[in-house]
Amino acid sequence: MKSVNYNPFHVAQAQFDSAADLLGLDDATRALLRNPIREFHFLIPVKMDNGKIQVFKGFRIQHNDARGPAKGGLRFHPQETVDTVRALSMWMTWKTAVADIPLGGGKGGVVCDPHNLSGDEQERLCRGWVRQVYKNIGPNMDIPAPDVMTNAQHMLWMLDEYETLTGGRYPGAITGKPVGMGGSLGRTEATGYGAIITLREALKELNMDPGNTTASVQGFGNVSQYAIELYLQLGGTVVCVSAWDQKDQTSYAFAKKEGVNLEELRSISNSFGGIDKSKAADLGYSVLPGEQWLEQEVDILIPAALENQINEENVNQISKQVKIVVEGANGPTTPEASAVFEKNGVFIIPDFLANAGGVTCSYFEQVQSNMNYFWTKEEVLSKLDTKMTNAFLSVSNFAMENNLSMRSAAYAISVDRVARACHDRGWV
Amino acid sequence: MKQDKLVEQIFDELKERAKELSCLYEVQEILHDQEKLTGEVIQKIVDAIPPGFQYPEITVSRINCPLGTYTSPDFEETKWEIKVDIVIQNTAIGNISVFYTKEMPVFDEGPFLKEERRLLKSIAERIGLQIYHEQLHSASQLEDIHGYKAEWAIILDMLAQTNPKLLIKLSRKMVNHLCWIGIAEAEKLMEAFSPVFDGSVEPTSETNKPFQKYENGDMIKLAYQVFDLAGNNISKNEVLEYIQKWTREDRSGFLSEILENSGSSLAKISMSLERYYHMDHEMIELSAPRRKSFIISLIKRMLTSQKSLVNVAKGILTINDFHKLMDHIISPMESYGRIGGKSAGLFIAEALLTKEAKQNELIADVKIPKTWYIISDGLLNFMKYNDIDEVIEQKYKELGQVRQEYPYVIQLFKNSIHSPEIIKGLMMALDDFGDVPLIVRSSSLLEDSVGAAFAGKYKSLFIANQGSKEKRLNELTDAISEVYASTFGPDPIEYRTKNDLLDFHEEMGIMIQQVVGTRVGDYYLPAFAGVAFSRNEFRWSSRIKPEDGLVRLVPGLGTRAVDRLSDDYPVLISPGQPNLRVNVSIDEIIRYSPQFIDVINLKEETFETVPLEKLLRDHGKQFPMFNQVASVIKQDFIRPATLLGTDFANDSFVVNFDGLTKRTTFLEKIKEVMSLLEKSYGHPVDIEFAHNGTDFYLLQCRSQSYHHDSKPAVIPDNIEPEKTIFSANKYVSNGLVSGIKYIVYVNPDAYSSLKDYQSLVSVGKAISLLNQLLPRQQFILMGPGRWGSRGDIKLGVSVTYSDINNTALLIEIARRKNEYVPDVSFGTHFFQDLVEANIKYLPLYPDERDVVFNEEFLNASNILVSLIPEMKQLENVIRVIDVQEVFEDHELNVCMNSEQEKAVGVVVKQKDPVEVKIMPGKTPDEIDRNIHWQWRLRNVEKIAAKTNPERFGVVGFYVFGSTKNGTAREESDIDVLIHFRGTEEQRKDLLTWLEGWSLSLSQVNYERTGRRTSGLLDVHLVTDEDIEARTSYAVKIGAVTDAARPLRMGTDLEN
Repeated sequence: MKSVNYNPFHVAQAQFDSAADLLGLDDATRALLRNPIREFHFLIPVKMDNGKIQVFKGFRIQHNDARGPAKGGLRFHPQETVDTVRALSMWMTWKTAVADIPLGGGKGGVVCDPHNLSGDEQERLCRGWVRQVYKNIGPNMDIPAPDVMTNAQHMLWMLDEYETLTGGRYPGAITGKPVGMGGSLGRTEATGYGAIITLREALKELNMDPGNTTASVQGFGNVSQYAIELYLQLGGTVVCVSAWDQKDQTSYAFAKKEGVNLEELRSISNSFGGIDKSKAADLGYSVLPGEQWLEQEVDILIPAALENQINEENVNQISKQVKIVVEGANGPTTPEASAVFEKNGVFIIPDFLANAGGVTCSYFEQVQSNMNYFWTKEEVLSKLDTKMTNAFLSVSNFAMENNLSMRSAAYAISVDRVARACHDRGWV
Repeated sequence: MKQDKLVEQIFDELKERAKELSCLYEVQEILHDQEKLTGEVIQKIVDAIPPGFQYPEITVSRINCPLGTYTSPDFEETKWEIKVDIVIQNTAIGNISVFYTKEMPVFDEGPFLKEERRLLKSIAERIGLQIYHEQLHSASQLEDIHGYKAEWAIILDMLAQTNPKLLIKLSRKMVNHLCWIGIAEAEKLMEAFSPVFDGSVEPTSETNKPFQKYENGDMIKLAYQVFDLAGNNISKNEVLEYIQKWTREDRSGFLSEILENSGSSLAKISMSLERYYHMDHEMIELSAPRRKSFIISLIKRMLTSQKSLVNVAKGILTINDFHKLMDHIISPMESYGRIGGKSAGLFIAEALLTKEAKQNELIADVKIPKTWYIISDGLLNFMKYNDIDEVIEQKYKELGQVRQEYPYVIQLFKNSIHSPEIIKGLMMALDDFGDVPLIVRSSSLLEDSVGAAFAGKYKSLFIANQGSKEKRLNELTDAISEVYASTFGPDPIEYRTKNDLLDFHEEMGIMIQQVVGTRVGDYYLPAFAGVAFSRNEFRWSSRIKPEDGLVRLVPGLGTRAVDRLSDDYPVLISPGQPNLRVNVSIDEIIRYSPQFIDVINLKEETFETVPLEKLLRDHGKQFPMFNQVASVIKQDFIRPATLLGTDFANDSFVVNFDGLTKRTTFLEKIKEVMSLLEKSYGHPVDIEFAHNGTDFYLLQCRSQSYHHDSKPAVIPDNIEPEKTIFSANKYVSNGLVSGIKYIVYVNPDAYSSLKDYQSLVSVGKAISLLNQLLPRQQFILMGPGRWGSRGDIKLGVSVTYSDINNTALLIEIARRKNEYVPDVSFGTHFFQDLVEANIKYLPLYPDERDVVFNEEFLNASNILVSLIPEMKQLENVIRVIDVQEVFEDHELNVCMNSEQEKAVGVVVKQKDPVEVKIMPGKTPDEIDRNIHWQWRLRNVEKIAAKTNPERFGVVGFYVFGSTKNGTAREESDIDVLIHFRGTEEQRKDLLTWLEGWSLSLSQVNYERTGRRTSGLLDVHLVTDEDIEARTSYAVKIGAVTDAARPLRMGTDLEN
């Protein structure tokens, strides 16, 4: 029975198909890239705390590793489906390719709900996962990382199991490790900074002086805070920031015409990006309903919170002054809203380019781990700048040369890079 | 001879045990051993006297006689004296005096017993006789006490002289015993003891003739006969043993006299316990039944009348426990009160733990904070002393008046003074406590009688207890007065009225307890505190069973764990499944961790709530057990904090109690304490606890209380099948969700067949809108799988907590797919929000056997399109059922019973709105939170029902604003929107009519809340033109968000 329901893998394949059409890829290349090159499906028996055995279903899917070892997260999810993992592994291939780092795309998962598992059981599950697949992963083959419901702790358990089985120390086998345990400095800053590096290049291209621009930012989490930090360093003015208020169960926008003071806001925010609205008011911010962040008279919008925030309902409330949208979050703009932007000539820096700083820093973690030599934060950030700048320029040149939107260009250039690698290796 | 030796041994023992007897015996022996009475002999007698008295250590004696004056070592004369003359032939030739060197409780003759006077008299007689004999030059020939026949003769003789009553008692007991073992002659003697025994009169018959009375002298003769008979029939050993045993038992007579008399004052009880305590314990033997009877009397008298608790306590408490308790009781002189429910619960738990501690290492170090008690009639004493007892009548006044007068009562109480005996007691307590912060808690008798449901109605106050003693005393008495005043507050009185407890004589004990904690900067706080329940009402995983229990843990004072908070979260742990935590991902762990901490500010002398982060930044190093309470977050890695090397200025912390739960025996201890208490009580319990960094303290223990709507609901039977909407038989929690008017049902099959992502997202948006449109807490949400799933939207509707926060119940439906039944989330995505807001959760498994899932009903009606026309395309996915549309005047009740693992959603006839408005068992807080909008809404519904549309030219009657949204406060008005299509005259008529309602509602509101308003209805009339033009309030009609809610009109017209 063929499912007619919403299926993320079908969506990913459709996206690929349109890029492939654009690039005029041949059938063999399409056949190779339309599906993962390798899939591992296995069972993981875990001895539970009560002595009983429970069998979990695990996956590792390597969509493509023509450009380098596969790279991608490992998810714990109660109703994980193979198709979700397939789609995510394909997106990883494009993400590494657009950032032009020498890695492929992969994704893995275990069908489980960590809410139903004790810490010890999760540890045994992580180790069990590695035992099933350790021959097919590793620093030179496929490098897992934390994802939905997994974190640094899970990664360390897995790395420990991997190193025990292979009889050596291979910190580059897994990323997302804590600093001091093979992790990289600069990871906190990477995504936010990366987004602003692409913005800086975009401004250059549009002949805009950052010092004369204003921006409005959605969210006050990690990504936004570092994005704001670098943007202010460039001389820009952030006139509005929105943040979720846990107590009121709604979000508020904090606006100040002369520009927000980042340190001031940080001092009245909590660890998950909530801003104290009464203190903000005392500091002279106007506290507005959350959705007004996108109605500001600014040049730049930086949605850095959730998906689907700019949609057909609110896209028309956006000021005509807005020239650039930097997609710091994943999928913040719906296709309908995207189309409106394109029509109005708004420059979009698409999500998988704008937030590629994260995966780039993971790559740096892997590189440092492999040589067992760790850089200073400045070193990491300056290498990040080079990578992101190059990534942006390639996409924007490709867009201009081929008269494509930034989003389509980003897709096309990554598919093109992967297709070339397959060809050069003589696969297709 | 062996036999002789044994007799001698027993005799010796008897001498030793029966003080008075042995004293007399000793004197006799001294006299017997001597050829001649000398000064040395008299000195020996002087020394032999104190051991015969109740308190030998403080007893001294003196003999004046012709041989001279002789005294005990360390002799001193005091005012506590007993004195008898030595008489020869009616002439006093000297005297014997006994003094107590310390003040002791008063008995028969000052601190002395009448038996003691008799003893002295006997000794004086013996000495006198000896002197007389010597004077006559003929020494008396006493019987050989070691002789074969002499033992009882001696004992009986002594008894006949010192304690004839005891002799008669002993002989009665002996004759009973002889009858019992079948000695025929004994029955004859028995007849002599009880004339009824001859069968002429049935003892139970109701004869009006009094029994014949025997004279004492006859009885003593009888006694000798009895013991002669005994000597002929049972061994001497046995006779002696019985004499010994019964004599010892008799010693406790004073206890039974006091304890078994319900009229004994607390002072008398205290005195008798004091006496019992100071007596040589070996001297008293209480038979098991007697001991039990004493304990039960003490329990009933001082602790509780609750049968189940008496049963628990009687197996645990000892008389000495009560003696210790007495040392910490503050009471008026003539008190007949108890210590109240809360105090009794803790006292019993303490005794139980102490008893078990010997064989159980885990609970050996559980402590109870130092506690003093003011007895329950202290409240009446206080009111009498200040001549304000008319306040008792408060409870019979109108509730409105009670509310209005309450501030006055508080002031009245605070300006009254406590009686000197209470002040004296409080000063002793303050000396005992020192200057540690204290909590003054109510310990009501009602709480004890009606159970925990009454808990939390009265005040508990923290005091810093700093400074001079005078200042501390003032603060303490002030706090006590305020807690006393809370007895007459409107909320408890309202509760008592509703529960028919008004006439119950309310007395309130007070518990003054040391606050467990330690100093951190200027603050005083425990490392952590919390509450634990032996039944887990909030299971977040199918692997957690109710009996795995639940702990709510917070850093600092436990107030934040006891109350449900809207903006902060305690850490939830199930001790039976400690590793299954509610929050798993780093985000969840941080988001749902405590952000604030309750402390006592010693400098400001106030109770404060401070941001945890600030406290840690400033004083983290001093925070007790910091490494067990908090963890350090580094990016997405959380590891327990270390004692050294923690950078309090820069690191980020999260309180998750990882160190505590993983590296200490804390949870085992909690489990052990709970299971011990549960086992003894025979039902689930809840406890409060705190840890000051060094020791674990139990603060309170009681039967598990249920949040008013978390009580196991009665599952109705005989429900008509068409009125049962659904049923469930697994993972059911407790509670009754009632008065539901709307059901929002997301059809799982229709949802999963939605083709594109946008449609899936739009379902979440529609739910969010419905959450705003439908009346708060009067609808339930039913949907597939996992509400709020963040990973795969197909697993459940994508919503956040704010999109569902007005529902009364969240249902997750797991429909079988092929052979596979999907997991539900147990609401884990916003579990703690649900818990704190008391939104119920229920999973349904429609495809399992023996459950009902009434799809016919769920498909019967759908008002979605009328509510949100633009969501028409989702009509077959989201069904909004207006229960009244299907069954007129009906509403949905969902009854959930965890004990039976059963839940049922059933449509029932609507209750009288007035009945529903206040549910018994609500805490005042909740009444505050919900009551204002509830009764407003019901009343405005009533007004709409009484509105005649033709008479007034009204087309539509709507309510909006705070009443509709469930946010109305005490002074909120009711926003009414009327779609008017009538004449000017009708308009005037309508406004006048509504004005009448408005004023009467205002009066009702005043009586309920004490707030005066000029009318309560805020009426807005809109016309067709307004609606057309969408001007002013007209936009509210049919608005997408926060739309005005239409009400039915004219359904209740009088003519």
